Amino acid sequence: MLDTFREVHTPEGVALHLPAAGPVPRALAWLIDLAIRIGVIGALGAMLGLLGRAGIGVYLVCSFLMLWGYPVVCEAMFDGQTPGKRALELRVVSADGAPVGWLAAFVRNLLRTVDMLPVGYGFGLVASLCDPYGRRIGDMVAGTLVVHAPRERPRRHAPVEGVHAPLRPLLPAEQMAVIAFAERAAALTPERQEELADIAEPATGARGAAGVARLFGIANWLLGRR
Amino acid sequence: MRQAHFVARHEREWEAFAQWLDARGDSPRGARASRGWQGLRDEDMPARYRRLCQQLALARRRGYSPEVTARLQALMQRGHNALYRPAPPRWRRALEFLLADFPRLVRAQRGCLWASAALFALSMLGMYLAVRWRPELVHSLFDPRQLAQFESMYDPAAPEAKLGRDSGSDLAMFGYYIANNIGIGFRTFASGLLAGVGSLAALAFNGVVFGAVAAHLQGIGHGGPFWRFVVGHSAPELSAIVVAGAAGLRLGLDLVAPGRRSRLDALVEGGKAGGKLCIGVFAMLLFAAFVEAFWSSIGWMPAPVKFAVGAALWALVLGWLCLAGRIRDVPAGPAA
Repeated sequence: MLDTFREVHTPEGVALHLPAAGPVPRALAWLIDLAIRIGVIGALGAMLGLLGRAGIGVYLVCSFLMLWGYPVVCEAMFDGQTPGKRALELRVVSADGAPVGWLAAFVRNLLRTVDMLPVGYGFGLVASLCDPYGRRIGDMVAGTLVVHAPRERPRRHAPVEGVHAPLRPLLPAEQMAVIAFAERAAALTPERQEELADIAEPATGARGAAGVARLFGIANWLLGRR
Repeated sequence: MRQAHFVARHEREWEAFAQWLDARGDSPRGARASRGWQGLRDEDMPARYRRLCQQLALARRRGYSPEVTARLQALMQRGHNALYRPAPPRWRRALEFLLADFPRLVRAQRGCLWASAALFALSMLGMYLAVRWRPELVHSLFDPRQLAQFESMYDPAAPEAKLGRDSGSDLAMFGYYIANNIGIGFRTFASGLLAGVGSLAALAFNGVVFGAVAAHLQGIGHGGPFWRFVVGHSAPELSAIVVAGAAGLRLGLDLVAPGRRSRLDALVEGGKAGGKLCIGVFAMLLFAAFVEAFWSSIGWMPAPVKFAVGAALWALVLGWLCLAGRIRDVPAGPAA
């Protein structure tokens, strides 16, 4: 399988699908976080510079917090998402699919030190290319995983207009293909819809726009709408 | 059963479950904010979740369209997150950790702790003796500008100056010690993953630098102010570095010799212990930075007071690490 899904079976007997994220989106998320951190430290430096000597101490503490604390706090408090990961729709979860805890977030970010060696996340890149789930070394030790967590898109319904029985019985896979077509049709151009519906001519007995309408009818019939 | 019937029959249940997740399930904060919640009761949620799992399995088995399976899958995943989320940290637990669990954990790493302490102490002592014997050796470690800086920081000819710094207020130095020392502690642990080599190198390097500076300042007659400066914060700082090194060695050993566990399992265990140890190291170094910035630098304090406080801190830190958490809470039950 080329899929990078990690399947975790929950105690309730169903499988959680965890789509593991590769190095590229993670690197982009890291760059966004880096820009945010540099921006915050720069702004703080400009403000605290006005305070003089005491400002330096506060500034150093803040830069320490930005360096070590920022990823840990973001991941532990905001559902495994730093702002960069949120922008790239990524999320840190523990290896069993549960939300990541404080300790795991702390460990995976401590071990960033090792992933960054020898230069520019070299070890982390090699590890994530070798691992089937794209984990860097810190992820392996902390028992965590970075997954794609797309925001919820509005659900698409199959259009409800007319019901047709297919001209000949359809196999289960064919039934699923017809229903999937009806649900995805709104995202396709009319020409493409007709092109696809023509393939199903033996079941619909029509071509062109009429074939598309028939296919929607068959989908409704399969879905049980009467 | 056709998909539309299935959806029509269970739709209300799924909506109620989703509303519960939105209002109470997704975060503990939400649960506190929605006290007057009227929908699905919290105690009914696990049963609803199991029903949902069964419905998802049915929907998949029957080949329902992604519209249904993806929706149920998303609900199931959120329910799973709500049920299996790690407990939020509590302040009482943090106190228990510092007073009992952390010292226990440190004592549990006895072998690595001795190795780490021995390496650190031997490299420090070795370099100290070497520089006392051949003072020019110090020039192989530091350039003349750095040495001049050290010498001016502990100059006995300027008794009213702050000890241990060339410039900067107490607060500025507090920030500096936090940023610098805690970073060193964390890196000492993390680099242990390189088969322990990183931690060993960090321990040896810190020991050598400290020994060389001490011997050089002692040799040129700046020893008095130097020892008065370092004695106060030496207890928490040096022991924290040793603990961080021990945690790193443990992690390295888990990689090299996992024993009867798989290498990954061993590393996960080592990582958990190491992470907890690093939380303690963080607390120790925070305390050390506080002492170093606001107490150690006081120049006018007579030496006996400084040394007495230093000794007291050593006794406190070692006593804490050796003794704290030994008396366990005996669970109530029939006497043995």
